[in-house]
Amino acid sequence: MSLWAMVVKMSEGLGKTCAIFFLTLLFSLPLGMIVALLRMSKNKAVSGVTRFCISVLRGTPLMLQLLAVTYGPYYLFGMNVSRNKLIPVIIAFSINYAAYFAEIYRGGIESIPAGQYEAAEVLGYSRFQTFMRIILPQVVKRIMPSVTNEVVTLVKDTSLAFTVSYQEMFTIGKQIANSQTSFMPFLVAGVFYDVFNAIVDWAMGRIEKKLDYYR
Amino acid sequence: MHEENRSGPMPGSPPVLALQNIRKSFGDLSVLRDISLAVDQGNVVSVIGPSGSGKSTLLRCATFLESADAGNILYDGQYAMRDGLYGGKKELREFRRRFGLVFQNFNLFPHYSVMKNITEAPVLRGFSRAEAEEKAFSLLKKMGLEGKENAYPCQLSGGQQQRVAIARALAMEPEILFFDEPTSALDPELTGEVLKVIRQLAEENMTMVIVTHEMAFARAVSEWVVFMDGGVIIEEGPPESVLGDPSQERTRQFLRNYQQ
Repeated sequence: MSLWAMVVKMSEGLGKTCAIFFLTLLFSLPLGMIVALLRMSKNKAVSGVTRFCISVLRGTPLMLQLLAVTYGPYYLFGMNVSRNKLIPVIIAFSINYAAYFAEIYRGGIESIPAGQYEAAEVLGYSRFQTFMRIILPQVVKRIMPSVTNEVVTLVKDTSLAFTVSYQEMFTIGKQIANSQTSFMPFLVAGVFYDVFNAIVDWAMGRIEKKLDYYR
Repeated sequence: MHEENRSGPMPGSPPVLALQNIRKSFGDLSVLRDISLAVDQGNVVSVIGPSGSGKSTLLRCATFLESADAGNILYDGQYAMRDGLYGGKKELREFRRRFGLVFQNFNLFPHYSVMKNITEAPVLRGFSRAEAEEKAFSLLKKMGLEGKENAYPCQLSGGQQQRVAIARALAMEPEILFFDEPTSALDPELTGEVLKVIRQLAEENMTMVIVTHEMAFARAVSEWVVFMDGGVIIEEGPPESVLGDPSQERTRQFLRNYQQ
């Protein structure tokens, strides 16, 4: 098999790689905010349970979580393993990344000085208005570098979908490597990820620059 | 110096602000012990005293940032807090329309331009944008900040930021304005420009309560000076008496540190 043939074959999986990437961001970024707010709840039970869930999600391998979400329903309830692997993959990725984003959001929210809340309160902003207009925009700016880190990691983590045989780019590459007893597909995959991340870096850099108009 | 032509309160009208028998503790620490204070329309009251005397806590209780444990808070004779019980959320929001607060650390919104800092709250409260902006331009002019409407807080000096904060508070058209050590974060040069605008407000008969360490300033602008220590009012009266000829030894001791 020629190198070009490998590249073409692996590119066919890029759509699925992108699907994992974008869908995970679409669900985990907002879900992370909900988790962060639950984590900061004044209700001890709510924040305690949330804290426990976050620690499990961050403390166990994403690979394990992928397997659990994909095959868990079969072993636990005898349900058929869904033929469309995208659904369990997106569920596992979104929940896992939401846990990480939640902790980033929490750090950002807690770094905003109390004076911002007080100034808004005295000026008659409601709690919701204060959060949406005063706190959140400042949080977004502060957490951008940490979020970029997670997004870059996500690009590479999409390769973990091979554990449940979801036919994304890396899974295809691994199959070619096995059948051709060649290391080339891994090199090709490495180049794909690096180019993907260069684009991510550029895009995130532009957003950060846009938020640079104030300190 | 003290001016004679101030318009006094309407006879029989209730004070703009009345604090009655306010108590507040943080855990075992009793910060306010039975404080009472009334501020009449058009009057300027300065609150002085050492750090930890409870003066900032008093302002924070009056503005609902801190909840007092006991006592009454009345604005224009209406109870915002009665016997330690506050009005409902909605009711307190209405009371907040009556006052403005200027913080020691300005607390401007850094992601907003000067204009948006000043106009957003009024717009949220139902003023039209055009109305709010017109008001903001005239306030900026008054604060000596013409042409700064598009600047961001980080581009301004501390003194300019504090004057924007004063404009922001005034834009809500409060009946009474509170200042919590408005110049303590500023160097002497910048302090002067902020005190100048506060003095100008005093000349326009703005009702104000000012927590300050600027004794000469307190003497010049206030109708009434309150000296607090250890959570109680040690002495109060016209500035000539409290600052010029204090009756209490504790007051004299405190003032001596300022004259050196």
